Amino acid sequence: MITINNLVKSYNGKVAVDIPHLEIDKGIIGLVGNNGAGKTTLFRLLLDLVKADRGEVVSNENAVSKNEDWKSYTAAYIDEGFLIPYLTPEEYFYFVGKLNNRSKADVDEMLSDLTIFFDGSILKSGKYIRDLSKGNQFKVGIAACLLQNPEMMILDEPFANLDPSSQIRLIHMIKELNEKKHVNILVSSHDLNNITDVCTRILLMEKGVIIKDIQTSSATLNELEDYFRA
Amino acid sequence: MIYTLLQHQWKSFWRSRATGRNVAMQIFIGFIVLYLTAVAILLGFSLDKILSGSFPGKDIVRIFFGFILYYYAFDIIIRFILQDLPTLAVQPYLTQNIKRNKLVQFLNIRSLFSIFSLLPLFLFLPFIIRVIGAKYGVMVSLSLVICIFSLTFFNHFLVLFIKRKTILNQWWLIGFFMAILLLAAADYFQIFSLRNWSADLFSTVIKIPALCFIFIAFAIAALYNNSKFLRNNFYLENLEKSSGEKRSAEFSWLQRFGVYGDLMGLDLKLILRNKRPRSLMLLSVIFLFYGYFFFKPENIQGNNLAILLVGSIFITGMFMVSYGKFLFAWQSNHFDGLMASNMNVKTYIKSKLILLTSFSTVAFFVSLLYVLISWKLFPILLAAWLFNIGIHSILTVFIGTLNYKAIDLSKGSSFNYEGMGVAQWIYSFMILVVGAAIYLPFALLFNSWAGIAAIGILGLISFLMQDWWLDKLTLQFANHKYKMLQGFREK
Repeated sequence: MITINNLVKSYNGKVAVDIPHLEIDKGIIGLVGNNGAGKTTLFRLLLDLVKADRGEVVSNENAVSKNEDWKSYTAAYIDEGFLIPYLTPEEYFYFVGKLNNRSKADVDEMLSDLTIFFDGSILKSGKYIRDLSKGNQFKVGIAACLLQNPEMMILDEPFANLDPSSQIRLIHMIKELNEKKHVNILVSSHDLNNITDVCTRILLMEKGVIIKDIQTSSATLNELEDYFRA
Repeated sequence: MIYTLLQHQWKSFWRSRATGRNVAMQIFIGFIVLYLTAVAILLGFSLDKILSGSFPGKDIVRIFFGFILYYYAFDIIIRFILQDLPTLAVQPYLTQNIKRNKLVQFLNIRSLFSIFSLLPLFLFLPFIIRVIGAKYGVMVSLSLVICIFSLTFFNHFLVLFIKRKTILNQWWLIGFFMAILLLAAADYFQIFSLRNWSADLFSTVIKIPALCFIFIAFAIAALYNNSKFLRNNFYLENLEKSSGEKRSAEFSWLQRFGVYGDLMGLDLKLILRNKRPRSLMLLSVIFLFYGYFFFKPENIQGNNLAILLVGSIFITGMFMVSYGKFLFAWQSNHFDGLMASNMNVKTYIKSKLILLTSFSTVAFFVSLLYVLISWKLFPILLAAWLFNIGIHSILTVFIGTLNYKAIDLSKGSSFNYEGMGVAQWIYSFMILVVGAAIYLPFALLFNSWAGIAAIGILGLISFLMQDWWLDKLTLQFANHKYKMLQGFREK
């Protein structure tokens, strides 16, 4: 799906991302690491939002910086910078739907599946997105990703701003997407319990480098906890 | 306590990211403020000469008095559009141990630090002290000084009150504009004369200086009213956000443009739902009347085509300039999302070109009303419009890709230099230079009409080449995308 070759990005001489080779393919892949490890920069590189100093990101055989095809099957939510603050959530969903050739009826149908996840505070809320709480903004962002019916989904710390019920629902949704629709998901988090629960493979990042690439097993949580305790 | 709070404001001004990062910009703002102040003071000190020069043989004191209420009537309108409400300034203090009354006082004092509070003083006080003081004595001029101060305060707090009211309730806005229109119409059709009224009023003050206490009473009433309103609505959600329910809107007439229509709809919503672009566009509407400034009879009869052309380009391109100078930067806070969404760069650029062209076309059709003044204006306006849609629009997108400064949509527009940078200055300059470079050779070699024709024809050719330009602009955008993304992320 996504192949990274010799990818290097540094800011003011400080290495932010340095990955010689990495394959991101089937499954739910987790990315963990302390603040400043380079997780968000890596995500931005994958989405061609940051120019790499060296190397390339290849998605389905095309370099993302040269060919825009990846946009049609990749959906991402990194932060509020992905939302349009002066739209109502509905307007935003229809806009994203339109960009992906979904009719209004399609969008409405997909949104009705998310009623429980939205918990009554997104649709018909009478607010612009900028007036929603952080957690609700996140829900809008995640829902917009789902609307695109992607093959690859990238979420940056989706659990951080959600209430406990929504976290549990999101975990369930992510697993179901992967099992039923075979969506590949790349997700970062500081919540080790959630990430070991949901992911089939976990990448551990430190100072821009992937130092561990683990197939999740019952021992993974302890392994990660040991690393972060040190 | 209030002094400490004001000190914080002073720091917040100088340390804000928009001002702080750019020393050249600070110096420039400093110069502009100094220049405006100098002009106002100069005008104030030479007012007696100007008045006796333009109205020979008349009583200049009475003419001066006639202007005062006019000034304050305009002051209300300009303040209404430009003056900011410094309400968010209190946010960090709401949970601190500070009495609500103190905060209201702080807000009131903080709001006074505005160029609008100073201008009338510079304009009127020199005349009052020098001319009227010499003629009628200290008591009279002192009384008039008090009147000027009181009127300034009165306007200031009245506008703050009305503006806050309009945020809470849209009907106040409509009511306010209706009242202004009615007054202007009554004055224009001479149902009553604001000038005579003003002259009579202040002539009476000369006779009875104690009348200034009535002015003071008005000022205090405005202050009291504003403070009372603030005290009763001292909740963040009441102060900043309109409490009305936000509804989804659809511009179905844009649907025929397909995905371009959706992207343009996005831009229109951006303009309508955010303070800074909204007031900029409102100002542009006012600039449509600038034609009366350029299209004077002497320019039309004297065939001063260059001036008529500049005016025409200005009028048909005004919307384009206002919105276009921050073309991509307006979307800086969601630029990441736009660039990662399923839309290719070419589509995005094309939507911007269509938007700019539509802006200019709307302005062109409105400006056709000027043809009623003289048929000569028609070919000139046409040429200016073609220049704008063919050349100006391309330049706007091109320069937009050179702009890496983010804009916070929620901030007001007056004296807001956030996002201004070298690109904006180049932009205003480029349009003039390119226009002159096309016009002048033909105008000098043949005649002015040949220059106009060159502007129009080159504009049309360039417009027909839009697809070719589009490819070039897409390439240019792709090359500068990362710099824009990075710049827009640094808020």
